[in-house]
Amino acid sequence: MILNKKNLTPLLENMAAGRDVFVPARVDGVAKFALFGEGVECAFDLVNTTMPPKDLLFPQTQKMYHFDVDANGNYRIHEYDESREQVVFGIRPCDMRSIVCLDEVFLTKGFVDEFYANAREKLLTVCIGCASAAETCFCESMGVDPQAAPNADIMLQDCGEVYRVLAQTPKGEAEVANWAAFVEEGDAEPVACELSLAVNMEGVVDKLEGMYDHPIWENLSIKCLNCGTCTYVCPTCHCFDISQDMRRKDGVRFRCWDSCMFSEYTMMAGGHNPRPEKLERVRNRFMHKLNFFARRYGMSLCVGCGRCVEKCPVALDITRLIDDIGACDVAPAAQAE
Amino acid sequence: MTAQDTIRARARELLESGEVASFVGWEAGRFANQTTPLIISDPADADKLVFNEYCVNTLAKYVRDLVPRGKVGLVVRGCDSRGIVRLIIDQVIKREDVYLIGVGCSGAIDRKSGEPLKKCVECRHNNPVICDEMAGDEVAKDEPADRFAEVREVELMAQPERSRFFESVYAKCIRCYACRDVCPCCTCRECFVDARRENWVGKQNNVAENRFYGLTRVMHIGDRCIECGECERVCPMDLPLMKLNRKVIQDLNDLFGEFESSMSLDEGPEPLITYDLADREEFM
Repeated sequence: MILNKKNLTPLLENMAAGRDVFVPARVDGVAKFALFGEGVECAFDLVNTTMPPKDLLFPQTQKMYHFDVDANGNYRIHEYDESREQVVFGIRPCDMRSIVCLDEVFLTKGFVDEFYANAREKLLTVCIGCASAAETCFCESMGVDPQAAPNADIMLQDCGEVYRVLAQTPKGEAEVANWAAFVEEGDAEPVACELSLAVNMEGVVDKLEGMYDHPIWENLSIKCLNCGTCTYVCPTCHCFDISQDMRRKDGVRFRCWDSCMFSEYTMMAGGHNPRPEKLERVRNRFMHKLNFFARRYGMSLCVGCGRCVEKCPVALDITRLIDDIGACDVAPAAQAE
Repeated sequence: MTAQDTIRARARELLESGEVASFVGWEAGRFANQTTPLIISDPADADKLVFNEYCVNTLAKYVRDLVPRGKVGLVVRGCDSRGIVRLIIDQVIKREDVYLIGVGCSGAIDRKSGEPLKKCVECRHNNPVICDEMAGDEVAKDEPADRFAEVREVELMAQPERSRFFESVYAKCIRCYACRDVCPCCTCRECFVDARRENWVGKQNNVAENRFYGLTRVMHIGDRCIECGECERVCPMDLPLMKLNRKVIQDLNDLFGEFESSMSLDEGPEPLITYDLADREEFM
């Protein structure tokens, strides 16, 4: 089945009836996933949005519950569930892989995050494969195929003039059944996407086991500003803080993105900070991306989208770090117990 | 001998002789026409240093973290040197903590567009305002762009339009704090946004909290802004942050006479920490 690119807008208009459809767009100059509708122009020309789509499942600020006191002085709690039917249309294969990572964090190992689970269940994912890559793209090195996303409900492989439509889940099949007016029978050959950036991940996870105290972290962290840019543009970074806004006896408890780059992130009651300096924070971030997550979930927490490479104010580049780890003369798992 | 050759040679000598413990400059990045800050302590690394029109980062702020290890050598252009003056006046470092190799700068170029960086087009000081030696000659100053033009654009907006403008600006902010972390004026031991017990600003990302953060930072920097434009360059959401800083500077010039911060170590006290009986008091 193929979908002519000319039919994208009519298809989206059709899909948006009664649902929120999010598409890549430039909003006030920022490339992100925006609600399809009047005044929003789809930017399918973007290889990648500046802001990742994680906001659709894990908003930067999310109200959890509201509390107040009734006439008898008893606290009352009112839960929020703002999840609704959403479609993300035009998400890229790297970002689809990031959802695999987020699913692991929020849905597995006996911990189910209800807010995430509700949003995830109501999300339909339509992935568009990449016919071309940005200079910062290195998804292939992280095991992502730029023209495939096995976990997407619907995969649209870019074949130049047309997309090759693959319904990959029951949800996707049900959706595509409504696309008859926009698609046609036939097949097409996906464009081969050429990436100019590659890293060698072979052995990196094991090597890092023995590199906790390696000087590489000092050399890397010394130029880091410790801002949160990399963590906020990262499609897989998922740390959050829980806080509240109080007005007399009324309040809202919410959670919001937090960043392991901030010193306040690990500050404990009583004033102890287990990651007091940049070195510990930078090491933690990259160990989490390349080692801790792999050990716990069997996959890298970096999907190779290149956003942090593009946006870091001091060009601190994870691909260079991976190369540097590869070049280090450390026996794999030398210090692992 | 190019400025880059001099910088490499002098960095090596300074590190070898032990006069400095670390040296700050730039090295080539992974991509074409890209550089990234480089901090070295081994003289053998001096040949990694580069100096070219793609050196977009300013360097002064690094000195704060490096001084505890000993004297720091660094390359300074106009912007970097004013950052150093700022740190000295604010008593973050002492003059003898740094050895400054000055270099004239004709402005850096954005590697993507090939155009001069906005901050460099607006720059008024191509040459260092202080240094211990120069690598190469000073460069002639181009006529800088009118740095208050963008302030007037906002001033000319009718009130509702101006509200919408600021709303759209702060709707984009993701509160990564890159603007703060790159700023040589932002050296508080604990930033007000991190003071959780006091909770000056909430952690929710919304226009009200974001604007409160942004405007508080602008007012706190006040008359100390060195106009390096780094906050605006590093903002991943492209917020027009210099519009706000320049509005403050324009008002200061209007109220207290022409003033440029951090131009020399012995400049008089800044207007906002000085009380003068002749000060205008329009609100009295």
